[in-house]
Amino acid sequence: MQRDWPEVWGGLILAIVGIGAALYAWQNYDMGTLRQMGPGFFPVAIGAALCGFGLVIALPALLRRGDGAPFDGASLLLVLTAVLVFGLALPRLGLVGASFVTVLIATLPAERRGWLWRGVLALSITLVTVLVFHLGLRMTLPLWPRLS
Amino acid sequence: MSTWDSLLLGLSFALQPQVLIYCVLGVLLGSFVGVLPGIGAMAAISLLLPLTFYMSPEAALIMLAGVYYGAQYGGAVASILLRLPGTPQSAVTTLDGYPLTQQGRAGLALFTAMISSFTGAMIGIVVLVMLAGWLSALATRFGAADYAMMMIFGLVAASTIGATRPVKGFAMIALGVLLGCIGTDVNSGAQRFTFGQTELLDGLNLVALAMGLFGVAEVIANIRNPERQKTAARISLRSLLPTRDDLRRIPLPILRGGALGSFFGALPGTGSTLSAFLAYATERRLSRQPERFGKGAVEGVAGPEAGNNAAAITAFTPTLTLGIPGDPIMALMLGALIIHGIQPGPMMLEARPEMFWGLVASFGIGNLLLILLNLPLIGIWIAMLRIPFNYLYPAIIVFLCLGVYSVRGLTFDIVLVAGIGLAGYLMTLAKFSPALLLLGFVLGPLIETNLRRALLIARGDPMVFLERPISAGFVFASVILLMLPLWRLRRRKARAYEDSI
Repeated sequence: MQRDWPEVWGGLILAIVGIGAALYAWQNYDMGTLRQMGPGFFPVAIGAALCGFGLVIALPALLRRGDGAPFDGASLLLVLTAVLVFGLALPRLGLVGASFVTVLIATLPAERRGWLWRGVLALSITLVTVLVFHLGLRMTLPLWPRLS
Repeated sequence: MSTWDSLLLGLSFALQPQVLIYCVLGVLLGSFVGVLPGIGAMAAISLLLPLTFYMSPEAALIMLAGVYYGAQYGGAVASILLRLPGTPQSAVTTLDGYPLTQQGRAGLALFTAMISSFTGAMIGIVVLVMLAGWLSALATRFGAADYAMMMIFGLVAASTIGATRPVKGFAMIALGVLLGCIGTDVNSGAQRFTFGQTELLDGLNLVALAMGLFGVAEVIANIRNPERQKTAARISLRSLLPTRDDLRRIPLPILRGGALGSFFGALPGTGSTLSAFLAYATERRLSRQPERFGKGAVEGVAGPEAGNNAAAITAFTPTLTLGIPGDPIMALMLGALIIHGIQPGPMMLEARPEMFWGLVASFGIGNLLLILLNLPLIGIWIAMLRIPFNYLYPAIIVFLCLGVYSVRGLTFDIVLVAGIGLAGYLMTLAKFSPALLLLGFVLGPLIETNLRRALLIARGDPMVFLERPISAGFVFASVILLMLPLWRLRRRKARAYEDSI
C-alpha cells in the first residue's frame, strides 16, 4: 500500500524538532514557577505541544493511503545553490559578479534549452540590480570583483 | 477630535507629494505582483520590506499597505484569464471568472472584478473608521490576560476556520512560536536557542524567514509547474463594458460581499481568503438560479472580489488599534512597524494620529488610483502575463537575496534564507501552511510576554484567564472553535450509521 508519506515524515520531523527543543530548553534554561516563569517554561511547553501535534499527524497517516506530491529535486537544489552562491560571492565578486553568477545558476532548472537567453538574462538582471540597488538606493556594496 | 477632523488630517498627510508617491508606487507594485501567479502579496511585501528602511515609518506603512490591497486587484486578473489565482485571496474568483473567459466575456469579468474590488474596499474603509475609535477605547481596558487570550483565540481561529486538518495548522503555529523564542529573552536576558551565534541574539530575522518561506519556496514550486506555462489571450478595451443585464446583477452581491468581508476581515484569525469563500457561498445560496454558478455567473465574481477587498482593509483594525495582527500578512506588516521602532496598539491613535489617519486616507486614495489606473492598464497586465516565468524567477532570487542582505548586512541571513527555503518547499509539498508558521512567529513573543505578565500579576493563579470577562470570552470562543470539527465528525458518523441501516 502506498502510505501517506509526506504526512508521516512531516509529522515525525515536527515531533522530533518539538521534543528536541523541549529537552534542550529543559536542560539549559531556568523553568521558574507559574508565578515567575523562567526563560525555559514557554519553550518547554510549546516544544512538548509541537511533539504531540507531530505524532497526531504522523501516526494516522501511516494507516492511510496518500498520493506522492511531485517532488522537483533539481529545481530545489539549484535554486538553493543560487541563493548560497550569492551569499558567498557578494563579498568577493561584488554586486556585478554575484548577480551574474546567481542568475546563471538559477536559470539551470528552466526547461528552455540554450545558453544565449541565459547569458542575456544574466546581463540584463545584473544591469537592473546595479541601477536599483547601487545607483538608486545607494547601498554600500562592493560593485566589481576584487582582483587581488 | 471629531472623525471629520481626523480624516482631514489624514488626507492632508497622505496627499503630501513625498507620501503620495509611495502610495502610487505601492499600489502599482502590488497590482504587478498580484497579476503574476505564484508570487503573492506575502512574497511581495517581504521583498519590499528592506526597501522601506530608507523611508519614514508612515510612508513605509502606506506603501506596504498599498502593495497588499493592490495585489488583491491584480490577483483577479490571472484568476479570470488563466484560472491561476494570482493570490490565494482570489482563488474563488476562478470559479466563475474563468468560465466567463471561455465564453469570450473576459472583459466583463475583469470590469466586474475591478468595480467590486473598489466598492468593497470603500465599504471596508467606512467600517474601519467606525470601528477604530470604539476598539481603541475598548482596548484601554484590556489587561495582559485579555491580550494573551485574544491572541491565542486568533491563532485557534486561523488554524481551524476553513481548514480540513486543523492539527496541521496547530503544528505550524507551534513551530512558528518556537522559532519566535530564538534570541534574547526580554524578561530574563537569557539567550535561548542561539547556540553561540551572535547573529541570532536579536532573534531570527523576520525578512529572511518571510523570503525563505514565500519567495524561495514559491519560486521552486513554480519553475517546472506545467500550469504556470499558460499564457493569456489579448482582449479589447471595448469588451470591458458590461451589458444592462450585467449591471443589474452586480450591485447587491457587491454590497453583501463588502459587508461580509468587512466583518470577517476585522476578526482576528479569519481574513480575506475566508471572506471571499463566504461571499461566494452566500451568493450561490441567495441566487434564484444557483445552477448558473460555476458556469460564468457575474455575481460569483462580484461578491468574492468585494469581500476580499473589504477584508483587506478592515484587517488593519485589530493590527493598528490592538497591536494584534489578525492574519499572516498583517503579522508581516506588524513586524515591519516593529523594525521601524513603532509598536502599534491602543495608544497609536492618540500618539501618532497622522500615521493612523494618513493610512486610512491613503486607502481611499490608493483604491481610487487602482480603479482609475487598472482599467486603462489592463492591456499591460495582460501583456505581463505573457512574460515567461523563466525570465522572472532568476530576478526574484537576486532581489530577495539583496533584500535580505540589506537589512543587517550579514551573509549569515542569506544562508538562513536557503535553509528556510528548503523547509518552506517541503512544507508546500506536504501541504503544511507556511503562512500560519509566520503568524505564530510574530505572535509568539507577544503571547509569551503577556502570559508571563498576567500570571505574575495574578500571583501564579491560572484562574485569572477565566475570571476576567474579556479573557474568559476569548477562552470560551476558542473552545467552541476547537469543538466544532469534533461535532461535525460525530454528525457525519451518525449519518453514515443511518445510511447503513
